[in-house]
Amino acid sequence: MTGNAPFLVVGIIFFLGLYAILFERNLIKIAIGISLLEASANLLLIVLGYRSGGSIPIFTLAGEVRTMVLPTPQALTLTAIVIGLATSALLLSLIMLLYRHYGTLDVREIRRLRG
Amino acid sequence: MWAKVYSGFGYWDVYIWLLFFGITSALVLWVRSLGRDDYKEGTEQDEIFYGSNEVPEDGDDMGVPAASAYWGFVKALKPYYDSLIEIHSGIASDYVGYFVLTVAVLAVLVLL
Amino acid sequence: MNWQIHLPALVLAIPLLGAFASPIAGLGGRTVRNGWMAFISITTTAVCLLLLQKVLVDGTAVYVMGAENWNFTLPSGLSWPIRIILQVDAFSAFMAAVGSIAALAGAFFSLSYMDKFTGLEKFSALYFLLVTGMLGMQLTGDLFNFFVFLEIASVASFGLIAFWRDRPEAVEASFKYMIISTLSAMFILIAIGFLYGRYNAVNIAAVARMLHMGYAEKIALVFLVVSLTMKSGAVPMHMWTPDAYAEAPAGVTCLLVGVSQASLYGLFRVCFSLYGSSLGSPVIPWTIIVMGVLSMFIGVTMAVIQKEIKRLMAYHSVSQIGYILLALGVGLLALRDPQAMADYGFTAMKGGIFHIINYTMYKGLLFLTAGALYYSAGSRNLNELGGLARVMPYTTLMFVIAAAAIAGIPPFNGFVSKLLIYQSTFAVYPLLAVVALVTSVLTLASFVKVFQTAFLGPAKSKFAKVTEVPGSMLIGMSILTVVIIVLTLFPTWTLAHLVEPAAKALVDQAGYISAVMGGGL
Repeated sequence: MTGNAPFLVVGIIFFLGLYAILFERNLIKIAIGISLLEASANLLLIVLGYRSGGSIPIFTLAGEVRTMVLPTPQALTLTAIVIGLATSALLLSLIMLLYRHYGTLDVREIRRLRG
Repeated sequence: MWAKVYSGFGYWDVYIWLLFFGITSALVLWVRSLGRDDYKEGTEQDEIFYGSNEVPEDGDDMGVPAASAYWGFVKALKPYYDSLIEIHSGIASDYVGYFVLTVAVLAVLVLL
Repeated sequence: MNWQIHLPALVLAIPLLGAFASPIAGLGGRTVRNGWMAFISITTTAVCLLLLQKVLVDGTAVYVMGAENWNFTLPSGLSWPIRIILQVDAFSAFMAAVGSIAALAGAFFSLSYMDKFTGLEKFSALYFLLVTGMLGMQLTGDLFNFFVFLEIASVASFGLIAFWRDRPEAVEASFKYMIISTLSAMFILIAIGFLYGRYNAVNIAAVARMLHMGYAEKIALVFLVVSLTMKSGAVPMHMWTPDAYAEAPAGVTCLLVGVSQASLYGLFRVCFSLYGSSLGSPVIPWTIIVMGVLSMFIGVTMAVIQKEIKRLMAYHSVSQIGYILLALGVGLLALRDPQAMADYGFTAMKGGIFHIINYTMYKGLLFLTAGALYYSAGSRNLNELGGLARVMPYTTLMFVIAAAAIAGIPPFNGFVSKLLIYQSTFAVYPLLAVVALVTSVLTLASFVKVFQTAFLGPAKSKFAKVTEVPGSMLIGMSILTVVIIVLTLFPTWTLAHLVEPAAKALVDQAGYISAVMGGGL
């Protein structure tokens, strides 16, 4: 049961992020929602690679242990974190520009392009 | 290279089409050449007929704007277009909502 | 030493070098930077065409990144691949060639089009990053690598859409695209996580060999299918398309059309090669078909009422994507039934894949002509434009060719692929072909409207000083025009030598798997 707790956390974070994107009106909160989604995806990858009692997957540092956690998800997560950083920075700068142009952070008022 | 494209029901051959296009154009040009040849440039035959009104100087005053194109079509389908434009609301969270809704519906369909 | 085995890596390395060396080239002034942009895009296209030629002759090309040997897919005694593998079959190479031609035309067009603006070294850096992302999505044989290239392409396209950041609309379009695109990328990452959790592999061929349907696989399939159809702009997730396509600079829009094809590529790679015969129920094929039909109809009816020229064309992209989805959905439906595949499925796939190249060429050209109008006349509003055929004869000619091709008027290439799609979808369900025909009629109607209001009509005094666009923009447009005319005049050759190998590669799941995993095992 406790083995599945991390997946539960992933689900909770994921739906919190989704809720923020769907129902929050403030652009900054939407950006936070996207960051939460990224966090849940990263956590999912890390949890998938965990083996109970495993040590770090580096031969020279691990010592005498027999079980190691999987190295691939960690590499994947690092890449995903870097990508997430780039997206967050760009997203926030776009929000800044939007505020400058429209004078509001309400997503329902930024709708010049429609129809 | 000269073969035909078979679609399962018939075929398409661009060269036969071009051949017929050439023949038809020649025919049309021949018929046209039989027409009257008493047109003279620079006389009143050249003048624009604008419903017997004065022809405006600028093209802006007599062109038909794009907003007027197909107005009957749009008017006939007004309920359809009203609902479509309502969907394209321009609000980012609505667009995300459609995406999440599609994921949910498809997930239900696939898992059942 | 046969250097051609390194072509898959070169296809990615050259635009990447072009991107990161752009700021340095920018130091040398305008001429150096323009020359660099032209040089890199020509080289990229040449390498892509060489790769296509090599793949058509030698069969699927595999390239292992970071191994001692380029074809060392299964390292010492392991039965699954651990390195990043580029896997190029006929379909990937075909898509890469199509995308690189669109990128070449867009780059040449942008040389003059963007001339008035500053920060152009950043523009060309982002442009080539977008090209790298697009080509990477099409060449990679690795799910996570696909995600990485998808994000490279997405982030570069956010930057390019908002390149005119003093225009509020451009920033708004970029923001909306960014929200929905990042969300869908996270769905893709979670789907990849599910597949990794089940099979401990991210290589497409390795996962495909072990795949058997369970709940996790079904959820992953749903996430991948919906996210990738969203990225290619299908109804009901198409709302970002008109915003982004209309607000991006025209050369970029031409490339974005190619990038949306890369997402389509991912969709069909997932459906045919990753899931393929284990797809099971016909829900996913029918979903793709229904999305295609809805995209066709809703896209084109929204296009008829648009007043802004690029927005109108962007709605047409939605409807053209619908044709491709419809055709390949029919192919997917027929995948498990050899009789149906021979009767209509393969014809539909040929039509769909032929439509991919046709669509990219004429839609790119249409966006470029719209950009040329905007450049010369300074307006995108159809209510204001008029009488421009007199002063812009070359643009008019190319617009007419592209509009005839998109409306499916014989003898142009759009007609051939649409004919194949109509006649094969008719065999599945006649209503599909009827919707496709009605869509084609409405497409013609809305392009008649554009032609009549922008090019015909009396000369307007405010456009008295308008002239034809500069040379490099004409070069960019003529590249696409020449491709359209070649495709028009030699449809049989194109179908036999480019489209059929691609369709066969897509259907042949076992061949895709064995190229990495070896024959036996």
